[in-house]
Amino acid sequence: MSPRPVMLDVVARPLYWVILLASLWVLFRGHNEPGGGFIGGLVAASASVLWAIARGSDAAARRLPLGSPMKLAAVGVGIGVLSGLPAWWMGQSFLTHWWGTVPLGLTDLTVSTVLLFDVGVYLCVWGALAGYALALLGLGEDGPVDEDMAGPQNDRRDS
Amino acid sequence: MGMTAKAAFAMLPLATLLCVLWLAVEVNLPAVWSWSWVPALGVSLDFRVDGLSLLMLLMITGVGTAVFVYAGGYLEGHPQQRRLFVLLTLFMIAMIGCVTADNLIVLFLFWEMTSLISFLLVGFNHEESGSRKSAQQALLVTGTGGLALLAGFIVLGHAMDTLSVSTIVARLPDLEPTPALTTALVLILVGAFTKSAQFPFHFWLPNAMSAPTPVSAYLHSATMVKLGVYLLARLDPGFGEWVLWEWALKGVGSLTAAWGMVLALRERDLKRILAWSTVATLGTLVMLVGLRGEGATVAVGALLLAHALYKAPLFFVAGNIDHGTGTRVIDRLGNLRHAMPWTAAAALIAGASMAGMPMSFGYIAKDIILSAKGGDDVFVFARAANTVFGAIAVAVAAVAAIRVFWRHPGNNETPEAHEGGLALVAPPLILALVGVLLGVFPFFVQELIAEASVAMTPGTEAVVVGLALELGPAMLSVAVTLGVGLAVYLFWDPLHRMFERVAAVVGPVGMATQYERALHGIPRMAAASTRWVQHGRLPGYGVLLLGIVALLTALLLVQAWDAFVWPGWEPVSAGYVGACLLIVAGAVLSLFQADRLVLLLCAGLVGFGSAVFFLYVGAPDVAFTQFVVESVFVVVVASVLLKLRLQGRGQGLHGEAWRPTAAVVSVALGAVVALVLLVASAVPFDGSLSDFFARQSVPAANGRNVVNVILVDFRALDTLGEITVVMLSLLAAWPLLAAVRAQMRSASRDRQASKGGHA
Repeated sequence: MSPRPVMLDVVARPLYWVILLASLWVLFRGHNEPGGGFIGGLVAASASVLWAIARGSDAAARRLPLGSPMKLAAVGVGIGVLSGLPAWWMGQSFLTHWWGTVPLGLTDLTVSTVLLFDVGVYLCVWGALAGYALALLGLGEDGPVDEDMAGPQNDRRDS
Repeated sequence: MGMTAKAAFAMLPLATLLCVLWLAVEVNLPAVWSWSWVPALGVSLDFRVDGLSLLMLLMITGVGTAVFVYAGGYLEGHPQQRRLFVLLTLFMIAMIGCVTADNLIVLFLFWEMTSLISFLLVGFNHEESGSRKSAQQALLVTGTGGLALLAGFIVLGHAMDTLSVSTIVARLPDLEPTPALTTALVLILVGAFTKSAQFPFHFWLPNAMSAPTPVSAYLHSATMVKLGVYLLARLDPGFGEWVLWEWALKGVGSLTAAWGMVLALRERDLKRILAWSTVATLGTLVMLVGLRGEGATVAVGALLLAHALYKAPLFFVAGNIDHGTGTRVIDRLGNLRHAMPWTAAAALIAGASMAGMPMSFGYIAKDIILSAKGGDDVFVFARAANTVFGAIAVAVAAVAAIRVFWRHPGNNETPEAHEGGLALVAPPLILALVGVLLGVFPFFVQELIAEASVAMTPGTEAVVVGLALELGPAMLSVAVTLGVGLAVYLFWDPLHRMFERVAAVVGPVGMATQYERALHGIPRMAAASTRWVQHGRLPGYGVLLLGIVALLTALLLVQAWDAFVWPGWEPVSAGYVGACLLIVAGAVLSLFQADRLVLLLCAGLVGFGSAVFFLYVGAPDVAFTQFVVESVFVVVVASVLLKLRLQGRGQGLHGEAWRPTAAVVSVALGAVVALVLLVASAVPFDGSLSDFFARQSVPAANGRNVVNVILVDFRALDTLGEITVVMLSLLAAWPLLAAVRAQMRSASRDRQASKGGHA
């Protein structure tokens, strides 16, 4: 069993959220600045990789939205398809994007089906890349102890 | 399977037969139906029934009805009788489609369908290895011929600019031979010859006799093997004047007829004897198609019908003997007339027709064949072959009808021999009696044969003369044939021994041996090529793959060397140079690493250098992506490598033997790619598309990041396709990786358990 470094174990939790927030920032600024759903998804996947190294790949998979990379990727594709449907129903060609603004008093919030589509890309890339990475990281992770309960305590007891 | 179910299945061919009869009487030929299918390829479901099709249809449904009834009795109580009936029904549909289709592609589809169903039917007793082998042989021979046929049809359709059979046949006589048409002709001949078991593809038909008897009677005598003859007769009006066509048909047909008859003498199995005589008849039919003149055309139609009417009953007789005594070997059979009187009667009538005795349809067919030859230009070999053919046909008929029923009382080793039920006796009797009926009253089929002849040779008139029952000049040659045939029959056993000795010499170089050799060669070749290409060593795969890519690209570069424009020198920024140095450093460092982990880090340096490079050439998005991908990749692979190392695996680099080759291939690939990039960058850049996206990005899509706008808006459908592929690839890889992981888990558990045992 590979012993897990204590330092990584301690910083993993805050770092995980920081990376995810960064990935969301990258996702939302993407339409005007460098970034977007694809890069955001890659960044988010790196957060999952971090968690997998700190706490085990199964723990990282459970921490994903929906608890499974496969589901996450599938939902991402589903959202992408969904974002194209409104235009299609209204007789425009599929994936013609709509823009609108929601007044919030002080400022206006711009909403669009483009953003929905990009969120779909984000989720799919996160799910798929994390799926590959976690599956690879999971290889050889299993000792005789069931890895599903893997955590710092288990590791310490093991080693 | 109950009586009702069997009756219901037998109603299918009977109902179709009635439809065909109605068609023959009520509808003016040719009748045409058409539905659109794949208009873009010119393939439509065209069906056309003319005289030739009608003749085939009558044989398919008429013999089919007898076969369905017979199969009900022959496989009484067989657990898989239902499967046989389903296959026979499918086969009948395929045959009907094949002889009525007027589109080359549709015809081919039904043709292949008959080959496939024939495979299933020959291998019906699939528990026996002999059956499986015969089925495989039949499929390989006819299937290979089918491929040639498809190629021929495509070439023919392309050359004629239409796929309609009737149009092609009508237009062909006006055309001069071109290489394309000749190619098509040869390929179609191969297809037809394999299907109709012509030399040198004759060997599969007797082996197909391991099929149940109803199948042999239906597929391998009355219908399927005649498809080749049908196709040749169908195309004969188009190709008839071609010398190649004429001589191929005459030569191959005569050779097959003679050879098939000789081989019939070798056999002791009644069914195989009949099979070889079928091969000989098919050869005669092919030869007759190749002969010019109206008489030959009429003879084709008459012999097709006569053969179906006597050979199918004789197969039924062989099946009854097998059913009643448990053997088909003629040495062990004799004097069966007391035990099986009705079968004996059917055998006698059908045998008379096969021998061409007067008062049978076989006589009329023989009469027409003789007159056809008489009217034709001198073709001595064909005539000689036909005399042999006729004589040995008489002998075969005598063996099937007289020897096993009236002679050799001492040979009767099967005291339990018994007659089958009505379903086994009625079909051969009725079919044989129809043969006699048509022999006495030929005018019943005169119109039919005339229509078939018109379809094969437009403007045929001679039919009326041929079909009258006359005991004229043909009588003499019939008598000669009879005499020779009876002599062959009487000396069957000595002749058999003689031919056995001949076969012992011919066997090792014969076609069947060649086939076996080719068949055994396939796995050997596959094994050798697998050892050479699929050796399981990853460095070897890499060297082969990249080496071929490098070689092909280099060839392209060399070919267009003079047309290249080389880019000029431009001053570059410091960052640009720095990034390039980083890449080069990573690449050079990785050459000298023996440790996988360090090697991975050096390779990662190349990736990061590329990312820096992208930053300096104005592609921040790409740089960003490259950074993240490279980080995740290095971290994941490093982690896997570390775990492997902790398990004591994956240490050091293997594949030293590949190193020199790999070095050469690497340098070559690098040089080639560098050259391609240099040359490509010198070509003037067409900026119209990027200008459009840059201009439209904000007004049309409300976004200033052009890359992202293209991804999610302008080309959103592409992106959707890409993320779908990404998801699907994970769907495929996930279970694989999970399986590997489970395997490693159990291995590690085993290790742990063995450790615990020692402690």
